Amino acid sequence: MTTDSVEPYLNGVREGNRRMLAKTITLVESSLPAHQELAAAILDGLLPYTGQAIRLGISGVPGVGKSTFIETFGMMLIRKGLSVAVLAVDPSSSRSGGSIMADKTRMDKLALEEKAFIRPSPTEGTLGGVARRTREVMHICEAAGYDVVIVETVGVGQSETRVASMVDFFLVLMLAGAGDELQGIKKGILELADAIVINKADGNNIEKARLAKKAYENALSLLTPSSPSWSPPVLTCSALELTGIDAVWDTVLDHREKLTATGEFDQKRRNQAFDWMWMLVEEGLKARFFSNKEVQAQLPKIKQAVAAGAVTPAAAANDLLALLEKKGMR
Amino acid sequence: MSEHPDKQKWSALVKKELGEPVESLNWMTPEGILVKPLYTAEDLEGLDFVNTLPGFSPFVRGVRASMYAGRPWTIRQYAGFSTAKESNEFYRKNLAAGQKGLSVAFDLATHRGYDSDHPRVMGDVGKAGVAIDTVEDMKLLFDRIPLDDMSVSMTMNGAVLPVLAAFIVAAEEQGVPQNKLTGTIQNDILKEYLTRNTYIYPPEPSMRIVSDIIGYCSKRMPRFNSVSISGYHMMEAGANSVLQTAFTMADGLEYVRAALKAGLGIDDFAPRLSFFFGIGMNFFMDIAMLRAARLLWNELMQQFSPKDPRSLMLRTHCQTSGWSLTLQDPYNNIVRTALECLSAVLGGTQSLHTNSFDEAVGLPTETSARIARNTQIIVQEESKVCQVVDPLGGSYYVEYLTHSIVKEAKKIIAEVEKLGGMAKAIESGMPKMKIEESAARAQARIDQGKDIIVGVNKYRVEEEILTDVFEVPAAIRDEQIARLKETKVRRDPQAVAQALAAVTQSAEGGGNLLEVCIPAMRARATVGEVSEAMEKVFGRFVATTQCISGVYAAEFGDSEIVASLRKRTDDFHERHGRRPRMLVTKMGQDGHDRGIKVIATAYADMGFDVDIGPMFQTPEEVARMAVENDVHVVGVSTLVAGHKVLIPHLLEALIQEGGGDILVVAGGIIPPADYEFLYGQGVAGIFGPGTVVTDSVNQVLNALEQKSKANHDD
Repeated sequence: MTTDSVEPYLNGVREGNRRMLAKTITLVESSLPAHQELAAAILDGLLPYTGQAIRLGISGVPGVGKSTFIETFGMMLIRKGLSVAVLAVDPSSSRSGGSIMADKTRMDKLALEEKAFIRPSPTEGTLGGVARRTREVMHICEAAGYDVVIVETVGVGQSETRVASMVDFFLVLMLAGAGDELQGIKKGILELADAIVINKADGNNIEKARLAKKAYENALSLLTPSSPSWSPPVLTCSALELTGIDAVWDTVLDHREKLTATGEFDQKRRNQAFDWMWMLVEEGLKARFFSNKEVQAQLPKIKQAVAAGAVTPAAAANDLLALLEKKGMR
Repeated sequence: MSEHPDKQKWSALVKKELGEPVESLNWMTPEGILVKPLYTAEDLEGLDFVNTLPGFSPFVRGVRASMYAGRPWTIRQYAGFSTAKESNEFYRKNLAAGQKGLSVAFDLATHRGYDSDHPRVMGDVGKAGVAIDTVEDMKLLFDRIPLDDMSVSMTMNGAVLPVLAAFIVAAEEQGVPQNKLTGTIQNDILKEYLTRNTYIYPPEPSMRIVSDIIGYCSKRMPRFNSVSISGYHMMEAGANSVLQTAFTMADGLEYVRAALKAGLGIDDFAPRLSFFFGIGMNFFMDIAMLRAARLLWNELMQQFSPKDPRSLMLRTHCQTSGWSLTLQDPYNNIVRTALECLSAVLGGTQSLHTNSFDEAVGLPTETSARIARNTQIIVQEESKVCQVVDPLGGSYYVEYLTHSIVKEAKKIIAEVEKLGGMAKAIESGMPKMKIEESAARAQARIDQGKDIIVGVNKYRVEEEILTDVFEVPAAIRDEQIARLKETKVRRDPQAVAQALAAVTQSAEGGGNLLEVCIPAMRARATVGEVSEAMEKVFGRFVATTQCISGVYAAEFGDSEIVASLRKRTDDFHERHGRRPRMLVTKMGQDGHDRGIKVIATAYADMGFDVDIGPMFQTPEEVARMAVENDVHVVGVSTLVAGHKVLIPHLLEALIQEGGGDILVVAGGIIPPADYEFLYGQGVAGIFGPGTVVTDSVNQVLNALEQKSKANHDD
């Protein structure tokens, strides 16, 4: 099924062919240089058809109910006549490199919808809890015509920053705890959030959720909002009892409308394009560095010297980078 | 009492015999109990239950004073397949051959509340048990079997209301009033969320159903056991004997509390609670387990201050382990079952099912069923073990094990209680994780040869013996659907609609659900219709999947096998740009997920990316997921004989979705006679029971490499 020509992928994705969309994502995520080249060409061809979807990042600690929330939220979008792509990121084991992806067991209804596409991806050791190519995959899904693209993160480490830098709206799911809501939360994540949603506000939890909402509202009021036209709200919902889900979507639309009116929306997307570019530059430099023959030849010796304390790490780094330049000049 | 005066001398003698210190003979059991090579009176110090009498609290030596010396246990073989008519013939033959009670196995469609004509149960009808759609089927099932005289056990939990109602109506139409009925309904929904997944509704309404049935039976069916609290399925899912004991006790407590909450008095229902334990190959451990369970239940029930001593008694049915049976060298299974049978008997069970030796392959044949039954009869009538009550009472080792199980189980029960009882604990995922971890460790021990299974990881035979296998004909479903249609034509549609409306109303408003299900079944409503009438209010439950990782490899340690497989998957990554990716799945209504859980965790530990599908999928749904996630291979786990319908269907669906390049492998209970058929259909690998998981990883990788080579040659 692998072919080297771009056309079948371009057409397949544009026609919304599930198999070709899936195959394209695999190519984009592949670590083989030949696949990456092909993927870059496909992405180039698809780029004109991207940009129209609403890009949504959803984060939160493990156990907060992200998948269940997305199942309910996604089904609500489907009922509104929209199509939804979900990119779920699952952690890879650092020991075996393998992973277990069980997202669809918690999105069993959405997974069967004709207008939904759910793709779990392993992190493959990428820091930040985002798969290496999530941004690219998001664009491919847009080109396939999905109205809403949701990126779900594993909810640990620096994932929040990475995801927030690629979506239009960054939603942070929280649980109502026993009064210590704010203790474990880094200030950083509150600064990134476009909305905080307190999940599992049901049954005996409703009162707790109300208290948590107050606490978060107070905390947010101390922060300077990232946009002059948007103060992140705190909402409560129950993905289980289906309450408060519509309000989350209304908030997303409201946010888009307000920021579009002020021009901030387009500005944000432009900045994200720059981010993307710089990231690729960084990656490319790194790849070039490690594939450099001189570097490969010298690296073991230099590492040894650092280990023995014969050379300082800074001097070693300079030597290594100099090798790269040497090759560049040749 | 202190140490035996000659203990030191004995230790020295052992050392002289072996050249190793006596401690080298210690064994840490999977339960975490340290077993020494010798026990003496010193080990029984402070154990106050040892010198007690059977028939009296704490019942450790048996619930009846005379035990088997007076009357042996009931030989109760669990059976049922295809249609009611065929099962009925089978039952009557067995009763004539010495069986004493009936135990009905239902098919998965019935368990999950689907009629035989429902599209989701295409591969399930009549496969793992008998299909029951209406009272008409139930009447056929017990045709010429007098229900006032026959104790009937029914393994039913999900669709427990319509099935029990159908049983009551069938008896009524036989002229037997319900207060004369004897037997047991399993009605143990909590363990379904833990192991087999054969539930229909979410936990909360399901608990209401349990207590409605307990309530109804305590008033109207005084001779009927209204719940059978089951550890068996936990053992089969991988629980060790301590986990089995602890979670079964915790389930029992939860039911007692639910019944009390529903307004019943403790002595109204507690004497009718019964238990069901699974007996495995650790001979003395499981003898001790049954004794420990009786001790524990006696102690746990004290808190409810019952007046009736029967409320403190743990009466139990047992079954030999299906999981311990092997496909390889299958006649060995007869010996395994005989040992497990003896273990249950020495533990003091009230009734027993012994498995047929061919159950790792398929349903029993007439011959294998006879051998299984005779295994019990021989122990009962030839071996003279029945002459003495609790013959192992006072055995230093058995009494010590009994005490140790009680001690360890209490810790886990305390953990459950801290979470707020078993229902809450299940919600937290704790018990399931513990069972799955225990299962993954067991698999790793077997795969390394630490636990020996003759014919599987030691003393293998070159040629496998192909035993005869009973096969349920595919036409069963059509036959069943035809009878269902006929019943529907002849009934009064208005009466049915009214009765079903009453069921929905009771689900919503309250009252006893069994009370309204009986008239509905009498009006010839179907199991599916009654289930749906409640589903309207309760919803249908789908469990979320949690998965452990790292456990399999951890039990393995840093072995060469693990390292070499990880290297293979790393190499694969290097060549193909990503790791080998596999979707593990079950299709149809089969909810036994031990297999896919162990496979998922083991494969991930070897460096695979593993996708897990939701339970109860159709082949089309699996194909879509395989294509969307773009896996290299789909691993289908099949245990209940649906493979010949579902796997070809899956291969077809994969092609339809454009995923014809995705490999399909199958594992579980598949008769060797079907291998050729499946390979012919395009299945790339078949892994029967006893396959070493690491071997299967190698074979899957071989198949993937072979395929990619073939593609390059194109």
